[in-house]
This record gives sequence, structure tokens and C-alpha cells, in this order.
Amino acid sequence: MKAYVLRRLWQSALTLVGVSLLVFVILRVLPGDPAKMLLPEGAPQSAVDELNRHLGLHEPLHVQYGLFVKSVFRGDFGQSFQYRAPALRVVVERLGATVQLALAAMLITVLIGVSLGIVAAVRRGTRYDYASTVLAVLGQSLPNFWLGIMLILLFGVALRWLPTSGFESWRHLILPAVTLAAFPMALVARLTRSSMLEILGRDFIRTGRAKGLAERAVILRHALRNAAVPLLTVLGLQIGTLLGGAVITESVFAWPGMGKLVVDAIFFRDFPVVQTVLILSATIFVVINLLVDLLYTVIDPRIRYS
Amino acid sequence: MRDRSAASHSVGRRQFLTLSAAGLAAAGLPRAVRAQARRSGELVAGLSERMLTLDPANHYSISSTSVHRHMFDPLVDVTNDSKFVPALAESWRAVNNTTWRFTLRRGVTFHDGTPFNADSVVFTLRRVKDNTKLIKSFVYQDIESVEKDGDYGVVVTSKRPFGSLPAHLTMLGMLPPGAGKSEEAFFQKPIGTGPFRFVSWTHGDNIVLSANPSYWKPSQPRVEKLTFRFIPELSTRAAALRAGEIHVIDRVTPDLVETLKSSRGVKVYDVPAVEAQRWVFQLAKEPVKDQRLRQAISLAIDRNAIIKDLLLGYARPVDSPVPPGLIGHTSLPAKPYDPEKARQILKQAGYSNVTLDFVLMKDLYPKQLEISQAVAAMLGEVGIKVNIKNLEIATAREQRTAGTYDMFFSGWAHMPHDPDWYFGQWFTKAGSEKLTRYNNPRVEQLIAEGRVPDPKVRQAKYEELERILWDEDAEIWPYYSVAIYGISDRLRNFEPRRDYYVLLSDVAIA
Repeated sequence: MKAYVLRRLWQSALTLVGVSLLVFVILRVLPGDPAKMLLPEGAPQSAVDELNRHLGLHEPLHVQYGLFVKSVFRGDFGQSFQYRAPALRVVVERLGATVQLALAAMLITVLIGVSLGIVAAVRRGTRYDYASTVLAVLGQSLPNFWLGIMLILLFGVALRWLPTSGFESWRHLILPAVTLAAFPMALVARLTRSSMLEILGRDFIRTGRAKGLAERAVILRHALRNAAVPLLTVLGLQIGTLLGGAVITESVFAWPGMGKLVVDAIFFRDFPVVQTVLILSATIFVVINLLVDLLYTVIDPRIRYS
Repeated sequence: MRDRSAASHSVGRRQFLTLSAAGLAAAGLPRAVRAQARRSGELVAGLSERMLTLDPANHYSISSTSVHRHMFDPLVDVTNDSKFVPALAESWRAVNNTTWRFTLRRGVTFHDGTPFNADSVVFTLRRVKDNTKLIKSFVYQDIESVEKDGDYGVVVTSKRPFGSLPAHLTMLGMLPPGAGKSEEAFFQKPIGTGPFRFVSWTHGDNIVLSANPSYWKPSQPRVEKLTFRFIPELSTRAAALRAGEIHVIDRVTPDLVETLKSSRGVKVYDVPAVEAQRWVFQLAKEPVKDQRLRQAISLAIDRNAIIKDLLLGYARPVDSPVPPGLIGHTSLPAKPYDPEKARQILKQAGYSNVTLDFVLMKDLYPKQLEISQAVAAMLGEVGIKVNIKNLEIATAREQRTAGTYDMFFSGWAHMPHDPDWYFGQWFTKAGSEKLTRYNNPRVEQLIAEGRVPDPKVRQAKYEELERILWDEDAEIWPYYSVAIYGISDRLRNFEPRRDYYVLLSDVAIA
């Protein structure tokens, strides 16, 4: 087990080096000039060249990458071109908002998605099943942008129950979290339903019922636990994605998260910020993947790593 | 003429003059009377762009300027009808063509009590000139020296005439010399002489300011607290206004006006902006380098249809490359819509099967894609095929630099309320080298001669050069933009700015 973890950590480190190199090169071969994006349209070429020199972009690519790697090991991800502040600080300032939103969306996904899936599976063919299927289809097919705007117009403008946008209190979190959760919730509901249905037909469930176990125990302790492995895989991938930032939801709700930050940074060719966000989210993704793989052994004792 | 309900207020040029005259008269009232204005309440504005920095010399962002104008005062202010009026400079005059002298206002202090004087001005101007990392630095490179002339006088000399210096200074907030000790720390919690003090900045979300009780204009500010929220998505900004969470939004698009007007408690203001849309040509490239082809293109475009049908009347016909109100504006004969004549010219010049690439910077200007599609159809009518290339901004600009385009959808907001920057950038050989490749020695000479401080000389030079540009069809100027704002009906004394700024120092809330 220990050897396994060490091997995985080593692989993760390689992945991250690969990601950093790829991001670094792709950004610099893209058409577009950072200084030109920072300066107003009417800036003379001499000002563009001067600013690019200040930004260190006049050096050859391999020199730039070398300097970058060296400073990353000192915890310095470079200065954001747009914000003129350390890129890591700019990104970390947004990380809190992203984590809040991702966790809230994840909570909704797990609580509602799994419950809907269980109900649909247990009451297969009833109106509960159909209702949950309809919800799942809606959740997966409604565009986030449209759903977000509709929620704002209904709960913010018409009813005035919740704030339309912004990042202040838990009340500001509700609408964006629901919007963001719509898709993964639907996915999880459908997945829970299908894997529950498969498990509920197995012999050990019949045995459980035959020996007089309460239906609740059969479903939650025996069926759900066995259905949880594929669910965990999906949830792990989803939380990785959510933590990487949710561009559309953040835009609609003016949520100051990492998603919008990185899109703007790509748009304005703010290389240090893009690099920092991508390396950070790749790290998060890799770590969560590792955790999920380790969690399998807890949920399903048959799984062993050596 | 579009229908204007009672909720819509359009401010014309004449009204501007009246308003600003009233403003000037009020400024002359005795202190005691004006000081009776009480301060109360909180104002929240929703801006379309996120603020990136608190350093007034390090950006040309309109939203950031809106915020900074409340914390930092410039030497010179500009009214909505483009008149330059005293701010921290009480007066200024051109000593000769390359020397300006500014007389500073006395008794002004920074938020920490440090007096404002010539040292602040010398520091701020030398900093922006010498620190070429700053975004505004390139504009001040013509400055030769900045010297104190007593505690309340500053003399600025330049390498060549710099008539637009006072205009540029409207965009440069004055800093205390102490800011130089540790700039990074200073701009975390900056101080200026402005009507509001910095309180907090939640990056990407909002900035909070509080009233400066010892502001040098005793009647301002008129609220205790001012918050700017950054809400780039227009539908969200509009929803927050309609929900009563915020009191003013900028950058409303024409198609949203009716929705806002029909919302309870919301008013819509519009005003002709200091911005001209311009579709520029690659003038060193066949076939658009041929003036006959450009003239045919101009004749084939129905500008009024674009203004009326696509912009719903929220744009103004163009009568000069420079919008009204700015120095140099002169009313030239309207560009006619005459597709028949366009066809004739094309036939005479031997053009058939012309195909043009029309490059757009994705999502930058309201309705730009629809407008370009309409233009493609109009040009198609006279036999010119148009390929619309709707590209991500950086990529589009790269194509412009490389010169691989025929027409480019662009715009120019005259932020300093002075056309020198526009002319110098787009119509000199050096300036336009990586843009339109424009080259006309006579125009270049007029631009150089128009740099002097004397407004009469400038007006004459600019009129002549604008006539040349107009006759050359050097660009297509399809319309002047209109700035549209949505505001809460609880606001008092809100002025919709032609330069898109949201200025709230003199605005009260009921």
C-alpha cells in the first residue's frame, strides 16, 4: 500500500511537470501579444516592445521556462501582467470563493442526486421514478447560463427572496450553487438509479430481506454501499472539475472565483495567472483522484493495491 | 425619432451647456450655503469591468477610472461637454508652445492629512514619465521636465508641443510623494485627495469607499458610503438594478432599454458618447488601398438602417471623424447611401468579384456581429463579397498587426476628450505602421502643427485634416455611439457621462 502511494505520488509529480510545460508552451505559441492587450489600442509599438521587455517576454522560450521553474520552487509563480501583483496571491484570493461554491454544489449533488436516484430505483416504474427521470433530464439538458438567469429573475427580481449576485453571505451562495449543481446532480441521480437497480436484483439483497432485515438497512447499508464505487468515481471527477472553477456560473452570478479569472487571463494573455491556475487545479485534480482511489479500499474491502 | 417615455432622459448638447453653467454657478456660491448639504445613505454602483489595480497611472480601464476618480483628484477635470475645468490645479496656462504652468489649489489635504502641494504633482508626473512599466507612461514620454515653481506652482516643459497635456491630466490622479517609499504597500491601501476614502477591496467582487469629511468641495460627497460592484454580465447587472440591490449600472445595450424602462423604480438615461465607431482599412493592401473602392464601400452602406433597425436609434449619424464637443469637430457633408453610384464606380474602376475580410474582435462592441452581417449583405448588393472573421480579441489584433485583413471593426472613445491621441496614433506613418498603414505627409504635418496649446490654431488644423480624411474615405465612420445607463429613481443629480464614467461624488440618494 505504501509503495503504491509513493508510486502514485511520483506519477503525479511527473503529470504536473508535463502540465506546466504544456501550458507554458501553448500560451506562448498562441497568437496575441500580452503587452498589446494591456496597453490601450492607441499605444505606439515602442511602448508595446518596452512593456514586453518589462514582462520578461523578450527572452528565448527555454530561458523563460527555466526561470519560471526555478521561481516556482521558491513559491513564486511570477507577477500577474494584468494585476501587477504576485500571480499566486491573485489566484489564492479567488480560491476561497471557488471552494465555497464547489463544496456547496457538491453537497446539493450528493444529498439530492443520491436521494433522487435511490427513490427512483426503489420505486421503479412509479411516478416518483418518472419525476426523478424528468428532473435528471432537465438538469443535464438546461444550459447553465439560461438556468442561472431564470433563477435570478425568479428568486432575485420577481420574488426578491434571494440576492441576484455577488459574494457576501450564505444567501448569495444559494442560487449559484443550485445552478452549478444542476448538471452533476442529474448525472449522479441517473447513475445512482442504474447501479442501485443492478444491486437490488442481486442474491445477497434477497438474502438480507429473507433474514428479516429492515428495508432501510437493506437499501442504505447493503445496496447503496455496493452501488457506491462507480458513484465515487464520478463524484471525484466532478469535484475536481468544480474546483477548477465554473466559468459560466461565475459569470452569471458575478462570483469572484477562479473560473472567470482564468478565462479573462487567457483572453488578456496574462500568462502567469493562467499557469498558476492550471498548475493549481491540476494539482487539486491529481490529489483528489489519488484520494478517490484510496477511498475505494475503504468502501469495498475487496479492492487492494500492491 | 424613438418614443421617449417619462422614464427616459436624453441629455442633449444644449442641456449640457445649461447643466454645466448651473454647475459652475453653484461652485461660486458661498461656502456656508453649500456646506449645508447633508450627507446620508449609501450608494451602490454596478460596473461592467472588474477593477485590476488601485494605481491610477497603471491602466486605461474605464471602470477602474470610474472608481479612482472618487479617491484621487486629477489636476484638471473635464465636464460632460468636454470643457476643461479646475480640479487640483486652480488655473493653468501655456507659457509657450512647449511649456505649461499650473497654479495649484491651496488648503487641500490627502486623506492622511498630508498637504497637497507642488511636491505631489512633481512626484506624480515624474513617476508616470520615468517608470515605463506603467501603462500610462507612453503618453507622457514627450515631457522634458517637471519642476516646482514655489509650493503651489509647477512648470512642465516638453520636447515638442504638448497641447493635449491638460486633457491627458484629467485621467491622472495625484498621489502623495510618500507613495514612492513602498509603492506595493501604498497601493494596497491608497490615499488621495478625493471625495471618498478607500475602505476595502474584495478582488473581483467589490470595492468599498467612505466619505471624506474634509473634502475640498464642501458640498461633496453627498452619501456616507459608496460601493462599486463588478458585474461584467449585463443581464446580471440589470437584474441587480431591477431587484433594487444597486442604484446605477453602466453599459446598457439598446435591446435592454425597454425591459429596464418597464421595471418599477428604474430609469434609463442615454447620451451621445465621445466615441466614434470606425471600420478601418488595411491601406497598404490591394484592393482597399484604392480610394475608388473605399468610396464605393462607403456609398453601399446604409448607415441610417443600421442606426435605426439594429441599434434601435441608440447611435448618432456621423458628421466628422471626431465627435461633437471635442476640439477640432467640424460638421462635414453626410456620407450618402447610394448603391447605384457604388456599382457604377466599381464598374468604371474595373472591379468585379472583390472579396474582403472583415475582422471583428469577438464580443467587444454591442451588436457588432449583426451589424457586420448587415454590412456584408449591403456590400453583397453591389457585388462585393465579405468574409466576416469574428476572432478572439488578441488574435484579431495580431491579424491587424500582420496586416492580413481588409476591414477591421473598431471604435475609438476619446477618453481624454481631445483628438490628438487618435490622430497621432492612426494617421501618422509611425503610429499606424502596425495598424492601418496610413500615410499622408500633409495630414502628418497638420497633426504636428495641431499639437500646439493654442485652441484656435488646433481647431483650424484639425478642420483641414478632417476634411482630407473625410474625402479620402480613410475609414468608414458608421455612427457615434450612445452611452446608456440604468439608474434607480431614488438617485438625485445623476449625470450620464459621455465618456462612460460613473461619477457619483455629487449624487444623493432619496
